Amino acid sequence: MTVEQDCVALDQFPVGMRVLAVDDDQTCLRILESLLHRCQYHVTTTNQAQKALELLRENKNKFDLVISDVDMPDMDGFKLLELVGLEMDLPVIRVTHGACDYLLKPVRIEELKNIWQHVVRSRFDKNRGSNNGDKKDGSGNNEGVANSDPNNGRANRKRKDQYNEDEDEERDDNDDPSSQKKPRVVWTVELHKKFVAAVNQLGFEKAMPKKILDLMNVEKLTRENVASHLQKFRLYLKRISGNQQAIMANSDLHFLQMSNGLDGFHHRPIPVGSGQNVLQNPTDLGKFHHVSSLPLNHIDGGNILQGLPMPLEFDQLQTNNNKSIIAGNSMAFPSFPTQQSSLPNNNNHLVLEGHPQASPSAFPGHQINKRLEHWSNAVSSSSSTLPPAQNSNSIIIGHQFDVSPLPHSKPDSLEWNTQNASSSYSIPFCDSTIPLTSSMNTNPRAFYRTTDLDSNANVQPGVYYDSSQMRQSGNYGPTTDAMLSSNPKEGFIVGQQKLQSGFMGAEAGSLDDIVNSTMKQEQSQGDLSEGDLGYGGFSSLRTCL
Amino acid sequence: MLGFGVDRLQADINRLLTSLFHQGVLDEQFLQLQQLQDETSPTFVYDVINIYFDESEKLLRSLRLLLMDREFSDYKKIGLHLNQLVGSSSSIGARRVRNVCVAFRSASELNNRPGCLRGLEIVEHEYHYLKNMMHELFQLEQQRLLAAGVRYPM
Repeated sequence: MTVEQDCVALDQFPVGMRVLAVDDDQTCLRILESLLHRCQYHVTTTNQAQKALELLRENKNKFDLVISDVDMPDMDGFKLLELVGLEMDLPVIRVTHGACDYLLKPVRIEELKNIWQHVVRSRFDKNRGSNNGDKKDGSGNNEGVANSDPNNGRANRKRKDQYNEDEDEERDDNDDPSSQKKPRVVWTVELHKKFVAAVNQLGFEKAMPKKILDLMNVEKLTRENVASHLQKFRLYLKRISGNQQAIMANSDLHFLQMSNGLDGFHHRPIPVGSGQNVLQNPTDLGKFHHVSSLPLNHIDGGNILQGLPMPLEFDQLQTNNNKSIIAGNSMAFPSFPTQQSSLPNNNNHLVLEGHPQASPSAFPGHQINKRLEHWSNAVSSSSSTLPPAQNSNSIIIGHQFDVSPLPHSKPDSLEWNTQNASSSYSIPFCDSTIPLTSSMNTNPRAFYRTTDLDSNANVQPGVYYDSSQMRQSGNYGPTTDAMLSSNPKEGFIVGQQKLQSGFMGAEAGSLDDIVNSTMKQEQSQGDLSEGDLGYGGFSSLRTCL
Repeated sequence: MLGFGVDRLQADINRLLTSLFHQGVLDEQFLQLQQLQDETSPTFVYDVINIYFDESEKLLRSLRLLLMDREFSDYKKIGLHLNQLVGSSSSIGARRVRNVCVAFRSASELNNRPGCLRGLEIVEHEYHYLKNMMHELFQLEQQRLLAAGVRYPM
């Protein structure tokens, strides 16, 4: 299909649509400009995000759509998106070379010819009174293009197909929600863990929403949800890598806050899990939202979630059994057949035992994904202080929150390290000292968490993210795999423990992988004490909130 | 005669391009670039590739300066530069350059200094190879245009 044909295929709307293109890279900007011209759009370009904002503010009606690069030095695309989305109702499409659900570089004409649909959709939604905005939403901008492959041509074609497929889905999704109040998906820790595991398995750069969705195997989760989340995640990682130090303490929360701020997440009704759960109804999630806006930084522990019931979505998700381990605080915990069998922990910690019964979504074949590793590494490129070049940031999502008040301030890495099992290790994943898998070559004990899974509440929410965290997660990674094979549940559980928020072990696997891969590189056990990680797991930032 | 020369030159151009595709130096994205060239932007490919060269050389110089510094520790910055290189290289279809940049980036993510130095060497090598090939291509193209009686704005 030639460029001309592609453009001609466009009908109605697009001609003359006014697009503002922002990219600090002149080469890409020039190409983008030309592509847009070819589509008969009216194009204005700038290579500075600030300038773009000025142009936009100058006259809010001057543009119909903004296409922006995400990794620009002066302001990242994500932020631009936020600002643009908040100040003016413009749909923004992001362009990146990473694997993400936005337009990926190299930008192709086929994708551009469809971008006008974002404008239409956005306006349509506005007319309906609910401005969900694909602008802010990953799903709206989800082009489903992944360009990590060396095989650009093939990848491009695949992406294009995906994109087309995505377009349809998006449309449906957008239409329905606006009419029915849009059930939103809450990205709980466990869900996030699954997500991370899936991404890990696929390879960060290659991870596409559809495949991730398939791997996650979660009912009622749509590709758009995944795409949106993936985008946020990637952006978050990028940001994290930029502020590694700052984020160390509260990466999860940070991520969550970011997400919430953008209102990007879709909520979906939280299914009430098993009877024993103290489940919170979906409205509770709202609480989380609010909570998330609290700076988690090290809160004295940061137990924002204190007292908040943890949603059991994870139960729902788990096909296998949902025995929820209900902590005193109503933390629902998917029950894993723990060796100890007494999971419920009274301190609101999810006690994840290394049960092999692993959550349904256990990631079979979850393995440390080198790509993920790279990805994580990329995120935390700085890490001079952190031993492993981990990008703990990336995994941040797995942050665990303690529902109950935790002794905060420092992740109990020490505790974790020293205790072998029974004590709650607050930082299951992060503990670099605990080698989850043989590959990690850290303490084998780590994996044996199963015995001590009694989630300790010492998970400090704030600490999760820092490179050390990543490291720990790294440990997890390899171990997870190993564990998974032998005891999949365990793997998850370990991760989960941290999740006091009722995060199920299943996700742990993924998180572990991530951690593992990152950890692989570094082996300093001691780093864990640096503590900041309590666990990179995604413990559902949402819940933490 | 004029036509004859044009045909020969065109054949040379095609041969060169085929070879570059075959070697994986270029990929389909380069074709997209060519498709964007038309009467309204007759030198599009040339212009974009030159912009790419300018930008890339700045980045490569910066990378070299960073890595040569004995006290270098800013891997993150390297990562940022590489992100840009990866993006621009993939945008013009410079597949091999893009791939070696990705590998280089991995080394930087691991804070692996020797790996980065090696990565930089490889990237520089691939980049210069690409640049030479592009120059050759442009020369052939220009000759072809001249032979066809068209002025090629330099």
